[in-house]
Amino acid sequence: MVFVLLALSVLIFYLTRGLLPPTTALAPYINPRLTDAGKLSIARAVGVATSSCPSFSDFAALQSGCVTPLWTQYFFWLKNVLAGNWGYTLLPGISGTESTWSVFFGRFPYTAELDIVAAVLTFMIGVPLGIVSATHNNKAPDHLSRIVSLGGYSIPQFWFGAMLLLVFVLYARIGGLGLLPASGALGTTCAVCFSNPGAITTYTGLPLLDALLSLNIPYFWDSVVAIILPALTLAITSLGLLTRIVRSNMMEVLRQDYITMARSKGLKERTVIYSHALRNAILPAITVAGLLVTYLIGGSVIVEIVFSWPGVGSAALVAADVLDINFLELFVLVAGVIIVLTNLIVDILYAALDPRIRY
Amino acid sequence: MKQPENNNAKGRRRHSDFRFALHLLRQNPIVMAGLVISVATVVLALLSNLLVNGAYWHQQNLNLRLCWNNPAFSWPVTNLFNCGGSVYPLGTDAYGRSLLQMIILAIPIDLQIALEVVASAVAIGVVFGSLAAYMGGLIDEVILRITDIFLAVPWILLAIVLIVALGRSLTTLTLAIVITWWPWYIRLMRSQVIGEKEKLYVERLRMMGAGWPRILFRHVIPNSIYPILVQSTLDIGSVILTVSALTFIGLTPNPLLPELGNLSNQGIEYFFTAPWLIIFPGLTILIISLGFNLLGDGIRDVFDPRLRR
Amino acid sequence: MSQANTHEGGDDVLSIQELRLKFHTYAGEVSALDGIELSIKKGELFGLVGESGCGKSVTALAIAGLLPPNAEITSGDVFLGGKNVLTLKPEEMRLARLRDIAMIFQDPMTYLNPVITIGNQMAEITRAEPKLFISTLATHRLRQIDKLVGGTKSDPGLLAERESLTHALESQSLGRKELNELTRSYSVSLLKSVRLPEPEKVFGMYPFELSGGMRQRVMIAMAMMRRPKLLLADEITTALDVTVQAQILRLLKDLRSEINTSVLLITHDLAIVAEVCDRVAVMYAGNIVEIAEVGELFRNPLHPYTKGLLASVPRADLERTPDSIEGSVPDLLSPPSGCRFHPRCPKAFETCPLKKPSMIEVAPNHYVSCLLFGG
Repeated sequence: MVFVLLALSVLIFYLTRGLLPPTTALAPYINPRLTDAGKLSIARAVGVATSSCPSFSDFAALQSGCVTPLWTQYFFWLKNVLAGNWGYTLLPGISGTESTWSVFFGRFPYTAELDIVAAVLTFMIGVPLGIVSATHNNKAPDHLSRIVSLGGYSIPQFWFGAMLLLVFVLYARIGGLGLLPASGALGTTCAVCFSNPGAITTYTGLPLLDALLSLNIPYFWDSVVAIILPALTLAITSLGLLTRIVRSNMMEVLRQDYITMARSKGLKERTVIYSHALRNAILPAITVAGLLVTYLIGGSVIVEIVFSWPGVGSAALVAADVLDINFLELFVLVAGVIIVLTNLIVDILYAALDPRIRY
Repeated sequence: MKQPENNNAKGRRRHSDFRFALHLLRQNPIVMAGLVISVATVVLALLSNLLVNGAYWHQQNLNLRLCWNNPAFSWPVTNLFNCGGSVYPLGTDAYGRSLLQMIILAIPIDLQIALEVVASAVAIGVVFGSLAAYMGGLIDEVILRITDIFLAVPWILLAIVLIVALGRSLTTLTLAIVITWWPWYIRLMRSQVIGEKEKLYVERLRMMGAGWPRILFRHVIPNSIYPILVQSTLDIGSVILTVSALTFIGLTPNPLLPELGNLSNQGIEYFFTAPWLIIFPGLTILIISLGFNLLGDGIRDVFDPRLRR
Repeated sequence: MSQANTHEGGDDVLSIQELRLKFHTYAGEVSALDGIELSIKKGELFGLVGESGCGKSVTALAIAGLLPPNAEITSGDVFLGGKNVLTLKPEEMRLARLRDIAMIFQDPMTYLNPVITIGNQMAEITRAEPKLFISTLATHRLRQIDKLVGGTKSDPGLLAERESLTHALESQSLGRKELNELTRSYSVSLLKSVRLPEPEKVFGMYPFELSGGMRQRVMIAMAMMRRPKLLLADEITTALDVTVQAQILRLLKDLRSEINTSVLLITHDLAIVAEVCDRVAVMYAGNIVEIAEVGELFRNPLHPYTKGLLASVPRADLERTPDSIEGSVPDLLSPPSGCRFHPRCPKAFETCPLKKPSMIEVAPNHYVSCLLFGG
């Protein structure tokens, strides 16, 4: 697992610094007021220029002997990264140039809460849909739920988000129901929340949850109102996979002999489906969690752009435009860690929940 | 050579499978709809140059930008610009070009990218997946680990990094998507071949002295490739979604390019003044990908041995 | 299908009349049951014998209302204790399965839920309809307490329990916790009665931790819990070793005499039938061809198929090798016309393919369905 992350870091490093000119890595540090000598010393400090390089213009012209070899760059970078030093980013922080780490993790909680709410919604909608589909196989509810899950799978995320915006914001505003915001993490119910949020103690780091736990209801409610549309967009487009797996698992389980046995004992049909069938069907569906996390993180890039959500996804695009490789590297590796961890947790959970594996 | 008997049995089974599949297909109206849509898309793509002048998208007519004069429907936005004489059924985009014509031009481009991506991913997946499965051992481990690495990242991030590194062009766009897609095909092919290589006829061929390339390429691969082809049909729709997502966030080679995601990009920029710019291209993407997904889903249901009654 | 909901069958627990059933498959319609008739009296151990695929299991499923969705009953009645089971609404049928019918299946591994403990799989029976079980549970526990509270030393806890139980019996209501505890003690004693070692431990185990024979006993215990009028045992010994088989059969006989349940024992093994059954019916290709008391059937088999079956059993005391019946089981997609056995029957004559024979009482309590005997 660590190997995967290391290899990933090599891959990303090669893509960002191997394929782009070494001056790209210097962008956050260099301002026009610096002298050539100043720029060269920065280049050396960041690890891209060798100590034997005569001048900055030689370095920029990629004279041989001036640019440190890629592998050396990599280990230099890796050493720094493991020490927690991710360099500077071009993206605006609170006070001009900021460390990549603080800018990234300043925005990260918003993406995290969006993804978590979306994940909850995905499960709340996707699992019942799959169950209904399986128990009413080939009848109307089955067809309907297959259309919904397949539709969710075929809808462009940006389009769905835009449609929600259109209906709930544009038309609602005109109709006088301007409840939901067009952008940002706060709604329109609380006029002062942006400038004067009130008391919020950081319990979890997630703004929405913290507001709730601090009993700051106006802020909490406002955040809920704002998060609904983007989370719904993410959820509807991600639940296709979950619904399909729950459906096919349930259909297979319902054909098993022990289901016939359960019915022959005179149990209520609801007991048969939930206590017997679902318990067996849901277990393999957990393995989808890793995939779901991948979809959600990737999807938030798009959804954040559509809804102007202040998370790392929308920032990633800006980073791509200005070639801010520090930010992108950090993003990719954080995502990698999250996904690998999720898969690990799923494996452990699966073993813990299935009594057959436990013994 | 005792092979013909084996091939005949396989051939007979495939034939009755096919007839049974057709029978089920006909009974399922949803899958039929998918088939109709997919075929219509391909036909439209092939005919697009007959419907719209191929060079249309290069021109810009800034006088006509962002206007809507289709009398059948009106938007609750102020019409900032005047459309002039001819009716634009779907309005105009930010460069003053008819949206309808742009969409028609965009379909073949998107379809072409999708086919290129799927073909490349299938090719890579088939070769490396079957090699991994057939050779086993170290080669298998290495290839598996490599796919693990690519699957540990959300596809869009990988694509963004790649396009940032390689610059923006249609080629890098295609490459970026292929790179995020090939791990699935490698794994799929690998699991197929792992099952296939245990079969008796493979051992027989080996005992007769056939070399591994011959066994692999002339026998094992053709017998295992079936689910891959089914999956690739399904994926055409998903790739179009992927391409349009990437161009939507702005990673397009040319802002003028007639491409469905590209048009939607304009749409989000001018969302409150010209909502049609995001609605119709997105709707087109939805319909096309729905068509291929319905078709692929139906095919998969039909051939899933577990669901057969 | 007859509209009669009740039927005077004397003390018949089960009475099947002219039951016809077919399956709709994508290959066509399979005629699985072709007008079968049988009846089982109270406390009787009734055997149903036949080759695989002749419709024995289907019959049991039809009685219990557990047929798959592609099955269609085209005509006939099934009377269980006077009520026509086929006309019951799904909820009534479910209650009938809970109270009156219990079914035990062939392979206890696949018929027990692998991720739920044995105890929970037993407890959910009483949880399904607690009211039905209050008397049984309370009476059982009261009896236990009475045994414990024998001497002069009386545990106040037990006395208090006896108070609350008697109250529960009168008011016919039981709290959740009480229900669970009573169910537990009742289940454990049931597990003991089916001769399971360490029943307390078994209660908390998972199915895969037990052997095949033990699992089968658990299934029997689950069936006995409901004290059903009719026990359907579908090939319950087929998956077991011979020694275990004998134990299970003995258990079945003991339980039958304890609770006076009627048992429909479905099997393809004539030896089992000879060992435990009172009466037996022979089935072939969806038809019942002969019904008789066990001794009578073995001494005096009438139907050519029955004769063939008996002759094909290997016997150590005879010199010859067993005969087999010529031909193979018919395809029920397009079954033979008239008497379904006629293509393989050594005694077939011209009328056999033309007329389907009906059941005739040839000797007292000995019925045959064969044109050789009229019918």
